Amino acid sequence: MNVTKYGIVALAVAIALLYGGCKNTAPSGPIAGLGGATVGKYVSIGNSLTAGYQSNGLFASAQAYSYPNLIAGQLARAGSSVGTFQQPLYSDPGTPDPTTGKASRYELISWVGPVIGPRGLTPGSPINTTLPRPYDNLGIPGAVIFDFLDSTDITVKAGPPRSNPLFLLVMRSQAAFGKTLFQQTFALHPDLVTFWLGNNDVLGFAASGGVSPNAPTPTPIFTALYAQAIGTLRGALPNVKIVVGNIPYVTAIPFFTTLGPKIMSKLPTGLALQYQKHGTTGIADGATNFTESNPPLICLTGAPYAPLLGQPTGKWYTDNGYPALPAGIDTTKPFGLDPRNPWPDALVLDPTEQATATASVQAFNSSIATVAAANHAVVVDINGFLGRVLVSGYETAGISFTSAYVSGGMFSLDGIHPTDQGSGVIANQFILAMNAGYGWSIPLVDIASLPALTVPLSKGSNGYPVIPEGAFGELKMLWGAR
Amino acid sequence: MTRVRQIGESVLLTLILASVALAGGFQLNEHGASAISQGGAFAARASDASAIYYNPAGLGFQSNGSIMLGATGIDPTISFYGPLQDNTNAETKMNSQFFTPINGYVVYPVMDRLMAGVGVYNAYGLGTDWPTDWSGKNLVTKVNLKTFWFTPTLAYRVSDELSVGAGVSYVSGTLLLEKAAPFDSRVTLDMNAHGWGFDAGIDYKPLPRLTVGLSYRSQVKVDAGGSAGFVPLIPVLPEGGVSSTITLPATGYAGVAYKFSDELTLEADYQYIGWSSYQNLTFTFTKDGSTQTAPKNYSDTYILRVGGEYLMGCMKLRAGYYFDHTPVSDPYVDPLLPDASRHGLSAGIGMNITDHLSVDAGYLFIKFLDRTVTTTIPATSFDGTYKSFANLFSLDLGYSL
Repeated sequence: MNVTKYGIVALAVAIALLYGGCKNTAPSGPIAGLGGATVGKYVSIGNSLTAGYQSNGLFASAQAYSYPNLIAGQLARAGSSVGTFQQPLYSDPGTPDPTTGKASRYELISWVGPVIGPRGLTPGSPINTTLPRPYDNLGIPGAVIFDFLDSTDITVKAGPPRSNPLFLLVMRSQAAFGKTLFQQTFALHPDLVTFWLGNNDVLGFAASGGVSPNAPTPTPIFTALYAQAIGTLRGALPNVKIVVGNIPYVTAIPFFTTLGPKIMSKLPTGLALQYQKHGTTGIADGATNFTESNPPLICLTGAPYAPLLGQPTGKWYTDNGYPALPAGIDTTKPFGLDPRNPWPDALVLDPTEQATATASVQAFNSSIATVAAANHAVVVDINGFLGRVLVSGYETAGISFTSAYVSGGMFSLDGIHPTDQGSGVIANQFILAMNAGYGWSIPLVDIASLPALTVPLSKGSNGYPVIPEGAFGELKMLWGAR
Repeated sequence: MTRVRQIGESVLLTLILASVALAGGFQLNEHGASAISQGGAFAARASDASAIYYNPAGLGFQSNGSIMLGATGIDPTISFYGPLQDNTNAETKMNSQFFTPINGYVVYPVMDRLMAGVGVYNAYGLGTDWPTDWSGKNLVTKVNLKTFWFTPTLAYRVSDELSVGAGVSYVSGTLLLEKAAPFDSRVTLDMNAHGWGFDAGIDYKPLPRLTVGLSYRSQVKVDAGGSAGFVPLIPVLPEGGVSSTITLPATGYAGVAYKFSDELTLEADYQYIGWSSYQNLTFTFTKDGSTQTAPKNYSDTYILRVGGEYLMGCMKLRAGYYFDHTPVSDPYVDPLLPDASRHGLSAGIGMNITDHLSVDAGYLFIKFLDRTVTTTIPATSFDGTYKSFANLFSLDLGYSL
């Protein structure tokens, strides 16, 4: 039996060795790093998309997921010493609507409808106001390319006609750091700058149905301003890494793609939507049943009026303070179905206006590419990326994104600005471009770790999202007259 | 425009079950300590009551009735490194788990040459338990699949050289699946499944020392039904009834055993698994009649097994090895079951404690080949490296009449 005992002992030893000696070890794989580069200071320049604006408001719980803040977090993981990325935080529920004085942020108000809009809450207030230097995030909601080098006193820009108080929120002391976005950037001596301006130079035109302003920034002016902006940055900071985002086609966002199909499904058989083309104020000069290859796009600002289709109503004129009805308009006729009570120009981007917007985006992006190349800047092709999302969606780690309103997961309740997760997706496009352009190896944002849009949309009784009129005061502030 | 709307309306469900699935190696081949100790190369001899699983014909060469009861403890260690899409190979360790598939067999001689038996065992099973907040949480956080097989069996010894056997299986199972859902919700699918199958085998001794065995176990189509629960409950999500049909693959063994001496017997088996039956996994939700299909596209595959037994007095010393080839191609690998080809190395002992009572103990070490996938399908989009190994301990008590 000795042999048996030895056998048992040998077996026990073998098992113990196998059991204790085995562990999984990391395979060779990506190693986070900046390839020897030093990035001690990162500054982001842009508009509402950069600011972390979401669901029609600027508020701290969304600013925490602004794409620049997410990039800063990933830079730290790659060994950069950027420290805390300072942003002009505004406490929840966020910034006020200029008309009502209440928080402009959209929320889900009711499942029935559903009703989406501002809740009438008392707005928040700035909470990061003692920083003795400019903010690292210089994204100003409403900013256009002109603003980067514009030395107008910011208190003037905050007042009429521009009426954008967010310049005052984002830009610290003019006396100490200068009146321009460029000067405030320079004061921080950044090693890395992301620059994503220009969207509003065409989006303001598009989101107002081509009414206010009634044209995008002219291409020669845009090109000159863009070259001047990037050239100035490059001249002042010869070694700074400049990463520029290009401009997505406006037609890729749910602000323009949501209502049209819903109206199409509600049109009485044989009837078309009668609408005003660009610049028209009277009798309809356009009609659509949305089956043509390039139908007009209905702005989300039309949400309060879509359910009134076919009714004798002049609500839009009342809401917009018309002292008298324009010539030819008869509000006793079925709204949107009779040429004498047409769908208003301000709520539709007709095919001509779409062509105008598209041509501007193409021309702007061409200028951006040229200017970037001349100044050794890396271009992030946001336009190409969002175009692919529109066509085929975007999937990562079991999460699917599409360009659909709310349910697509990419865009917040205003149909323009990304959700927290959508912001992470944008941040990753910047990181991928930087990694490719500079040979860096920054890990990407784990999208699954970011909050999903937690305000879902159900199919309401009439299929339209109910967004109350007046909910878009913030929009007019962002893109109104200047 | 139409396209946009269609995408919008389908996205919710796509998100929920984009890759819900049962995966490759959820077959279990551990149904008796003696077989496990010998690399599972047991279908030719099938010399104890676990023949009900390995080859029912083996019962025909057994002269006494017997009872065999046991269990296998499975202790897996699994890590994922990635996702490469995020330019990282950070490690996520699966939570530690311990599974105990059971086996119980009763065999009784009905008359001369005819043996009857019944077995209960777990032929398919799976457990996955990732951290609830890991980066793959939208793919899976937890899976628990259990199937119980109840198999009445008859075997008939045609001659001293030839035996045949067959059985019918009633399969009853449960499936629990948890993952993150849209709108920061969390979904739990809780389902029961039932199905029927059959098996048959033949055992032949062309030479006194040589035994050849063939056995076949049919595929089993199980109909599953249960409920989908969401926390928090979001009205747009398909809370309520859910159903599915899953086809557990057919499997077959071909084994050759040779008795080199009175002490030493060696066996080699080829096991075939018809995993190509598993092409898609479709769930149907009662609430809105919607269906979700996840492509799996498994391939038929095989396991090569060798093992043997050495008699030493009252002791039987056993050892074995197998190579198990994965049925899952790279694009379809996901964390639901991180499948990979694997080596199994086993050892064990058997002893007769009294004239009637015996004990078999076995140990099996499984080392999965490191698997790096870089081409996962869009619905998964989760590339990286899986590394896994497992320790299995098996114990059976036998009582012969």
